[in-house]
Amino acid sequence: MDVSQYLEIFLDESKEHLQNLNTQILELEKDSENMDTINEIFRAAHSLKGMAGTMGYKRMQNLTHDMENVFSEVRNNNIKVNSEIIDVVFQCLDALDEYISNIQSTADEGENENTAIIERLNAILNGKSGKGEAPKEEATAAEEAPKAETTEAAAKAPSVNLKLAEEQVHVLSEAMKQGKKIYFFDVKVQDSCILKAARAFLVFKAVEELGEIAVSDPSAQDIEDERFDTNFTLVIISDADLDKIQTAITSVSEIEKADGKLLSEADLTGGAAEATEAEAPAEEAPKETKSAATTAPAPAKAAAPAKDEKKAGKPVVNRTVRVDIEKLDVLMNLVSELIIAKNSLVSAAGQDHSQTSSFNEQIEYLESVTTNLHESVMKVRMVPIESVVNKFPRMIRDLSKKLDKKMELYMSGEETELDRTVVDEIGDPLMHLLRNSADHGLESAEVRKQRGKPEVGSIFLDAYQDGNNVVIEVRDDGNGIDVEAVKNKAIERGTITAEQAATMSDKEIIDLLFLPSFSTAKQITDVSGRGVGLDVVKSKIESLSGEVEVKSKLGEGSTWTIRLPLTLAIIQALMVCIGDEKYAISLGSIQTIEDVKASEIKYVQAKEVINLRGVVIPLIRLSEVLDAPTNKTKDDDMVVVIVKKGDKLAGLVVDELIGQQEIVIKSLGKYINKCKVISGATILGDGEVALIVDANACF
Amino acid sequence: MDELMTTNDRVQYIVIKVGGEQYGIDIKYIDNIVRMQHITRVPKVQSYLKGVINLRGEVIPVMSIRGKMGYEEVENTKDTRIIIIKLEQHGTVGVIVDEVKEVVTLSEDDVEHFTYDAKQEEKNMYLQGVGKYNEQLISLLELNAVLSEKDL
Repeated sequence: MDVSQYLEIFLDESKEHLQNLNTQILELEKDSENMDTINEIFRAAHSLKGMAGTMGYKRMQNLTHDMENVFSEVRNNNIKVNSEIIDVVFQCLDALDEYISNIQSTADEGENENTAIIERLNAILNGKSGKGEAPKEEATAAEEAPKAETTEAAAKAPSVNLKLAEEQVHVLSEAMKQGKKIYFFDVKVQDSCILKAARAFLVFKAVEELGEIAVSDPSAQDIEDERFDTNFTLVIISDADLDKIQTAITSVSEIEKADGKLLSEADLTGGAAEATEAEAPAEEAPKETKSAATTAPAPAKAAAPAKDEKKAGKPVVNRTVRVDIEKLDVLMNLVSELIIAKNSLVSAAGQDHSQTSSFNEQIEYLESVTTNLHESVMKVRMVPIESVVNKFPRMIRDLSKKLDKKMELYMSGEETELDRTVVDEIGDPLMHLLRNSADHGLESAEVRKQRGKPEVGSIFLDAYQDGNNVVIEVRDDGNGIDVEAVKNKAIERGTITAEQAATMSDKEIIDLLFLPSFSTAKQITDVSGRGVGLDVVKSKIESLSGEVEVKSKLGEGSTWTIRLPLTLAIIQALMVCIGDEKYAISLGSIQTIEDVKASEIKYVQAKEVINLRGVVIPLIRLSEVLDAPTNKTKDDDMVVVIVKKGDKLAGLVVDELIGQQEIVIKSLGKYINKCKVISGATILGDGEVALIVDANACF
Repeated sequence: MDELMTTNDRVQYIVIKVGGEQYGIDIKYIDNIVRMQHITRVPKVQSYLKGVINLRGEVIPVMSIRGKMGYEEVENTKDTRIIIIKLEQHGTVGVIVDEVKEVVTLSEDDVEHFTYDAKQEEKNMYLQGVGKYNEQLISLLELNAVLSEKDL
């Protein structure tokens, strides 16, 4: 069977199962008696095995099979979970992960048999007396049992439970009048079937050779999208007899059974009436699962415990569509075009004074529509950071073992959403920071005890939305950054001179850590300390138009704050003039706008500052930064745009304000990338290009 | 240049004029030719980079071939054009030229490629060879060299 077209689904689902396994096994490590967790692990391992088998990845299948065996023993209380098992299983998961990444890059699982892991798994199995075989069979039997039950339940009768609309009834009775036969079929796909939609499709095809499918429940579209449990029903108009259709359906592989019934006219009319009333009890369970699954997971599980064996890993089955990110990019570009066109209209309306008020109304309407459209397209591109941070608990656990420090990771705000492109990129920087905290931040258990801290170190990963930004904080209660050590190191390396060091604030010194190849770790460890880290973190985050900051208190811990823009494509901006040139400044970084008299300028260390309501703010003349000719002299009063970066403020001196505008960010292309102050360009209503000033780069 | 050999030996060039000399640009790299339009200056970049333009909703950087090849900059005239070039490694770039004259088809025999030694001369740095067309000589531009970055 050619399975290449299912490769993508396979990869997605296996990754999901693996992640699930990782999470559950971490859970199990904490609470080794939890039956729910064990069952969950068993199920996930089982599905993974089945999928690998279907796709023909034998090595992966073998490994999962052995892992599954271990858990089947655990489930039957024949083996107690201990740290050895957990370690082996984690190794096993890593090996599986490797298979999957091999498959992803080459469509082949690779040559690694992982015999060592398999042997250890088997050793665990055989370790507890010779009971090996018997309980395993028991396990399969136990697994069969619920299956049998459902079969029985469904076998009672293909109780005709039709949901027919009036016109469907009409069509059916017309067909009946023409002497055709109407059949009702309840088709059940095997529980173990991986590609239900594909099987259902084959059933449809088989039936369509013999007749016509008048009604299907769930709808053909839902079936195609795999939005059904294991059963679906069909109403078929055909000349053929019941047996023939039944054989056609059951000859499709992995179809467990198909119960057919010839319908009479009474059934049709009755069915239509029944649809408005209560449903037949035998059918109720799966139906309920389906409807309940979209609302709440708990009742769904209660209603059909046997049915959701496969789905238990996923909390709620959302109605989702997988869309190629490129298609979304196209959509986003179109929205951008639309906004540019709207801006042109707005500026055209502004020039034409003979306009009527209805024209203006329409433009305002268009404006609100495009803004909403932009927001919803943006939301479509947003995914929760969960997919990235999920792997961290496991990583911290491994680090804890490796570094021989006790530590615990606390996460919050996993549901915080970010643009897909950002989420894809943010994993590595976060991992760096977490490793950093684990390795450099947290002290060893003895030191912690001496300092009167709990023996187990804590690392926090918090994500939340703050205005137009998403903030991700990595915090630890460890040693904090030793400013003196950093200072000495910097002097030693020649990064700064001793005189410079004397005048630098603690914050400035801590910022030295972000310079390339600067590591204060006394020992180079496996985990961190090679001096490639923080500068990479910083440049990565800056490439996402974000920023990273660190606050630290010696002996109490450090907090790393990453601030990322919600979206990268369209922003609200303030348009300003410098000479004849127009520039945009992102509204997100603007604090206030002030009129400042030339006489208010003070000088601190020969730099211009202003004292604004008690705060001393350095002035930056954009005309100088941008080499732009200005129409103003130094003695004129100034318009100052106060921008903030973290808790720092600066005043950008501009010639004039134009106003607020929604702008579409366009890249300057790879050909021009020299200028740090310019973060991009945008196209104005009149077709002119204006550059976007990156206020963060002005500091 | 390997590509040149394989494309059936006949290559179309667009002939442009810069400072009285004629240059040829392989037509397959040319996306578009547009009239001079408002260019938004970008600060702190090489002097030959004139800025960016709006080409149907895309922001395209524009360079002056005069600036790059060491000619004196001149005022724009009604003949001044921006040739939009698409190259793998540089993306889309606009090149300002004095005038676009015609399209010529040269066969491999009409083209005299420069040897490595000849390329060492600064003047020839941006050329891949010289083409002969109706008694005229057309210097064929090596676009990768023209567009690649030169230090300030």
